[in-house]
Amino acid sequence: MTARTDLETLMARLVLKDREAFRALFSATSAKLFGVCLRVLKDRGEAEDALQEVYVKIWNRADRYSSTGHSPMTWLITVARNHAIDRLRARRADSDIGDPDLVLSDPAPGPEARAIAAAEARRISECFGELEQARADAVRGAYFEGASYAALAERFDVPLNTMKTWLRRSLMTLKDCLSR
Amino acid sequence: MSDRPDIPPDDSARAAEYVLGLLPVQEAREMRAELGQNAALRAEVLAWERRFADIAENEVEPVTPPAGVEAQIMAHLFREERRPWWQRFGLGQVVGVAGLAAIVALGVLFYSNLTQPLLVPEYTAQIVGEGDSLILSAALDADTGELLITRDIGTVTTGRAQELWLIAGEAAPVSLGLLAEDTETVLNVPQDLAARFEGGVLAVSDEPPGGSPTGAPTGAVLAVGEVNTI
Repeated sequence: MTARTDLETLMARLVLKDREAFRALFSATSAKLFGVCLRVLKDRGEAEDALQEVYVKIWNRADRYSSTGHSPMTWLITVARNHAIDRLRARRADSDIGDPDLVLSDPAPGPEARAIAAAEARRISECFGELEQARADAVRGAYFEGASYAALAERFDVPLNTMKTWLRRSLMTLKDCLSR
Repeated sequence: MSDRPDIPPDDSARAAEYVLGLLPVQEAREMRAELGQNAALRAEVLAWERRFADIAENEVEPVTPPAGVEAQIMAHLFREERRPWWQRFGLGQVVGVAGLAAIVALGVLFYSNLTQPLLVPEYTAQIVGEGDSLILSAALDADTGELLITRDIGTVTTGRAQELWLIAGEAAPVSLGLLAEDTETVLNVPQDLAARFEGGVLAVSDEPPGGSPTGAPTGAVLAVGEVNTI
């Protein structure tokens, strides 16, 4: 994987509609993003379609990247995951969440955001390991499968409100661990 | 990290739920409106995006996509240089027509038995969905009744079909056929329908597999475009 600074240079060039930079970004990042699409959609053909759409979005919306304060990989993964989830929910008529309501937020960047991001990235696996297996799986289910609270409650065979409490607690444990 | 202002746990959880897509539609909408006003909440949403993306970065194995995917993306985005002739109209019609005439003349000279004569399409349309989620280009050659639809952006939802309609004047929409999932669809338009393209509107609707069971659009209108006359 290309070093982060290289990806940052490519992202900056992308905003200027530099096609060579786009090609370079594709070869450096497409395997990871294809992995994300596959993980969410679990269907090769659909993941290929999603990947195409993801890179069209990346090309068209590169100007939004810098305002998030994200690292390039964080932004790219977020675009890919959200798009794949959109597709998954469009496919799934039984969703009780209704229309996907996931758009990239583009607020002003926090100045210390990047430093924090780098520090947290190193710890995320460790902190995830601190959660009980089932609870970590519930968080994964929500992130990678777009599972609703109702779907998660059914899967883990707990009442809906218990599921909500569980997941919220797990998220707070994760956050606390990351900020230790 | 201690320099980051603390956010109430409830707000942090709500931000996480927003990023995960766990909030009910109405709450998510309210949340989005709130993000415009509340900088701390906005920062927390972004922080959750980072935390979750880190999980993906750590846990998802890279898988090299097939080579064709890159080619298709590049063709999608950078097709201007090799755009088919029917899409170049409007940019330089005079040059286009002159060039086309030359090509036809050459074609006639060198290939006296052309199987597919180069004919100028009389009608074109860009059919565009909300938020540019679906963009199609259509070109009708009224002489042959051949309607070529190129899928520029967007796909067909699995288990659903996309049906193309002509809306001419006040008349009810008339089905022109189903769109293929491929980049290009060719539909044959009967002469009487082709004659009604001028000033009409093309629309794509979401339908069950096999198309509308009623003969009229039954699902959501996914994209619309006015017919232009060349």
